[in-house]
Amino acid sequence: MHVMPEKRVKREYMSTSPKSTQEITTEHLSKLLAEVASSRSRRAFSELFKHFAPRLQAFATRQFGNEQTAMDLVQDTMTNVWHKAHLFSPEKGSPTTWIFTIARNIRFDILRKNKHRQNDVSAEDLWPVLSEEMSDSDEEFALDQNILLQEIGEFYRQLPDAQRIVIEQIYIQGKSQQEVSDELDIPLGTVKSRTRLALQKLKEMITAHD
Amino acid sequence: MIKFHPTEELLVKYVQGELDASLCLVIGTHIDMCPVCANTVKDIEEQVARSVFINELQGSASATPAQLPEAEMNMMLEQIISSHAPEKIVREPALEEITLEGKQFKLPPTLGRLGSRLGHWSKVPGSVWRAPVNLSGHDKINLIYMAAGASVPEHTHRGSEATLVLNGSFADEFDCYEDGDFIFLDQQHKHTPQTAQEDCLTLAWLNEPLQFTSGVARLLNPFSNLFFR
Repeated sequence: MHVMPEKRVKREYMSTSPKSTQEITTEHLSKLLAEVASSRSRRAFSELFKHFAPRLQAFATRQFGNEQTAMDLVQDTMTNVWHKAHLFSPEKGSPTTWIFTIARNIRFDILRKNKHRQNDVSAEDLWPVLSEEMSDSDEEFALDQNILLQEIGEFYRQLPDAQRIVIEQIYIQGKSQQEVSDELDIPLGTVKSRTRLALQKLKEMITAHD
Repeated sequence: MIKFHPTEELLVKYVQGELDASLCLVIGTHIDMCPVCANTVKDIEEQVARSVFINELQGSASATPAQLPEAEMNMMLEQIISSHAPEKIVREPALEEITLEGKQFKLPPTLGRLGSRLGHWSKVPGSVWRAPVNLSGHDKINLIYMAAGASVPEHTHRGSEATLVLNGSFADEFDCYEDGDFIFLDQQHKHTPQTAQEDCLTLAWLNEPLQFTSGVARLLNPFSNLFFR
């Protein structure tokens, strides 16, 4: 039973005035999301939940005018935050924005489902927020950022030219995979597979030397 | 250099998810092609999110009757923590390009993700081809390919028309449009799109059929749904 200490934390938090909840900084929210992602921290998630759930509920109630649908939106959104926090990347925007886009997508799908449309386009097709493929390289990026470039410099030079050029443009010059694909005039799929292969190879070389 | 962009009002509605999915597709594809709008959309997202999450609670203190009771909140929290992870969303690879008349056209990612919904090409009068992007709903969206020297007869719209140039250029009475340009027209505009030396591939969204307005082309009106199905 880990419930008791958490409850105490919640209550303390609930009792703070709305003014002080506003003072939660982007950095703090990012840290909480990172804790949820890395160690499934229930405490961190509870704090996120206490911050976002009432706001989501107020937003959704106004949008739908229906308590139950509003609650569904809160639950679906926060369930994704709990299970998919690893897909959040601070480079792309703030936690607030990320959670808003999840809620926006869920609302979009609820509204379209209500029209009984079959085989419909989903919000995720239009605004990919939770698709795994999209953030594959971001996740790898986050992992590999921790390794200093000097440390891997030697390994990096051992990569085949085609892979090294792609890695250099993405990780050193900070270009997106799409930009690299456009500039080198090679298909996006090729950029992705070269990135994947190169990162895999780098990882192997690093672990072999550990 | 992209000259024509969606209005800020349209971008805000896009971010809020207030537009029809098919119009979102056209705007999303423009954003793929246009770094200026991509930046604007990022800003709008931040602003809209902040207004939802920061102002919402204060604004609603009097507006919405009951905040969630704490007990219910705690129950939901427990349910979420003990819930199974939602299924991973793994998407099929996007369609990267299409071939038309022996020419290859790259598709921007937003359009490519819906590549499996691209229907068959058919010819319409005036060296013009169209293929529907099949999304359910009332509004229609087509890829339209005009060969060099092609024209669509002068027409107006009972509703609105959004056109995005994917590749090439076309002109009408108002201007000349090139890669990435986004043109939004309503009932008040009559125009005659045509290509010159260069061919042109566009993504076109309509919420009502076209209405042809000049000469013999008026005969086409019974068939104006050529572009609307």
